[in-house]
Amino acid sequence: MSDSEASSVAAGSSDVAAEEREASPVQVPDDSSPPASGANSTDNSIDVAPTRKARRRPDAKPPAEIQESQETKAEEQPAKESSESSVSQGGWGYWGSWGKSILSTATATVATVGQGLTQVIEKAETSLGIPSPTELSAQVEEDQHQQGEGSSETDGAGEDGASAVGSAIGMLSSLTSVVQNTGKTVITGGLDALEFIGKKTMDVIAEGDPGFKKTKGLMNRTSTLSQVLREAKEREELQTAEESLSSSDPERKAVAHYGMLFDEFQGLSHLEALEILSRESESKVKSVLTTMSGDEVARLREELDAIKEAFSLVEFDDEDVDEKKDEDGSEFERELAEALDGLHVSATADKLGKACRSACTQIAEMTKPLKEEEEGEEEDVKNMLPVENIHAAAIRSLAQLTARSIELFHKLAETILSSHSSTEASLLSQLTVVLCKEISLLSKKFTSCLTTAGSNEKGDVLNPLITGVFLEASNSASYIQDAFQLLMPILEVSHIQRRVESTQQ
Amino acid sequence: MEAIWLYQFRLIVIGDSTVGKSCLIRRFTEGRFAQVSDPTVGVDFFSRLVEIEPGKRIKLQIWDTAGQERFRSITRAYYRNSVGGLLLFDITNRRSFQNVHDWLEEARSHVQPHSIVFLLVGHKCDLEAQRQVSRQEAEKLAGAYGMRYVETSARDAINVEHAFTELTRDIFALVRSGDITIQEGWEGVKSGFVPNVVHSSEEVTKSDRRCLC
Repeated sequence: MSDSEASSVAAGSSDVAAEEREASPVQVPDDSSPPASGANSTDNSIDVAPTRKARRRPDAKPPAEIQESQETKAEEQPAKESSESSVSQGGWGYWGSWGKSILSTATATVATVGQGLTQVIEKAETSLGIPSPTELSAQVEEDQHQQGEGSSETDGAGEDGASAVGSAIGMLSSLTSVVQNTGKTVITGGLDALEFIGKKTMDVIAEGDPGFKKTKGLMNRTSTLSQVLREAKEREELQTAEESLSSSDPERKAVAHYGMLFDEFQGLSHLEALEILSRESESKVKSVLTTMSGDEVARLREELDAIKEAFSLVEFDDEDVDEKKDEDGSEFERELAEALDGLHVSATADKLGKACRSACTQIAEMTKPLKEEEEGEEEDVKNMLPVENIHAAAIRSLAQLTARSIELFHKLAETILSSHSSTEASLLSQLTVVLCKEISLLSKKFTSCLTTAGSNEKGDVLNPLITGVFLEASNSASYIQDAFQLLMPILEVSHIQRRVESTQQ
Repeated sequence: MEAIWLYQFRLIVIGDSTVGKSCLIRRFTEGRFAQVSDPTVGVDFFSRLVEIEPGKRIKLQIWDTAGQERFRSITRAYYRNSVGGLLLFDITNRRSFQNVHDWLEEARSHVQPHSIVFLLVGHKCDLEAQRQVSRQEAEKLAGAYGMRYVETSARDAINVEHAFTELTRDIFALVRSGDITIQEGWEGVKSGFVPNVVHSSEEVTKSDRRCLC
């Protein structure tokens, strides 16, 4: 995708396209987050991007001038590549694995990479008319400056904390809109905007990292969603296994790994099974089309196109996602029941509803002791739930809810294929919207817990946790949307089956 | 969940509807018996670790398939990535025993080009009074297909551990001997992450066969 094309899309069409792009700052640091939380404290270099971005910013000023030249360079390559990769991959391989390369091969060139990321993100934002993060990052920068200067002064400590929280909240609100938008990108035709920025980022990284090309070659192998997730899980398992051995401290808290948890809730298996069914259906559709000819094939193609269209038309209004709403998850269950009406998957829907209720209960418990504390002694804030625990609960809930959502899609696929009854694609897209909305809502609730509980934490402790939650929420929504797309060939096959049956009668 | 395991084996559980596949798996993975349960839709998933030798754990990923005819075309698609399976029949239901042959044929034709290690399971052995299939004829059939035969009861927890562990051991032996190999793009057997400090890498990569234990 060329730059001009990108901006014309942004300017010409709805703000959906713009917001898709805006989502990228969250997507970009994807895989760097597990180590960030895994490292627990020491290493800031593997911090997630927004923080890193802020730190690198001094070099990048004034943004417009310096970037000019590098950007054009960065853009040439994606233009070349977009055609080959957007066809088969839908952006998946990229998001799954490239973070690894940053960690494993690019540590020597962190500065370059960091700067590259900043530029790409800024470029994307400015070219799309999205408010620049300058203020935000300037504030963070200032905080860090202050922290550097005032580390020896006891007076400065309180102030630092406060401003760090201030920036965290700023970050929060900007990220919040990203996650809302993830919901909005539902079914608006895949993730090409993310892909666009992703490719740019990749190329910037590739420039500064000779080893990267190799990694990229490996990545092309990973073409399915379940493979991407499985590899993430395996990395986390390895990491956990190593940590459990090397760690001498038995008190060390288990770090929440999204991929492992997702697998524990059998999300990977359901996804793999869904992919199998989707692939089989796809090839069935193809073989049916090849056996037909003339008008017949044209008519069927038309009918199938109508199904395809239903898979790319829906969006939801993120105004609906209100943090205050649906405290116990009952609203979600009602909407879920509505969306699933007549689809015969009540057992799985119950599991999903239960997962959501449990997340809401956890959130309620987290916010309760805090309120009491505010009324009581304000000095003794140490009793608050550690932010790490809240983060872990958030990641766990997201992984569980996503796994249950994928399970639901898988069960739907099996029911549709075995029942021969007609299922409207619009019902399924409505369901996807409900699920993504819930993910977005939960992530907001969890991060506001984090912000409150972490009001005394330094920004570099709190920010990665908050970003981590939004990141996994955004990923969760992408997984759900991709799983939804996997249902398309299944509806097509189901349609063909019913067609055959009706002609035979 | 404990992250340290040597291998992951994927097992598939097949057999007629209502022979007790899900109940057997639930007894094995959750340690309980449900009197009433809904028929399985398509396939469900369970997992558990099994210690086949002290310190040697295998993660079992169990695909619990629907026995109902209407899901047959779907469950067929799931065979390919399994290294082993339990083929169940109900000892109080002669028909389910007669169908064993069909199940086996179907499974074998759909796992191609891979092969699959099966264990024949006569389930509901607590209902001795209603038995319609004798142990001898079941053993004979199993022998003819080169399978082991085990009689189990999920309700009374008879031989449930035994059935799964035996199958796991058999597969493990085949993996060790090299008759079954880990293959890219096949999910039947996966090697786990065994940190070098605990086990030598010999367990994971077959090329290096020194034992440092």
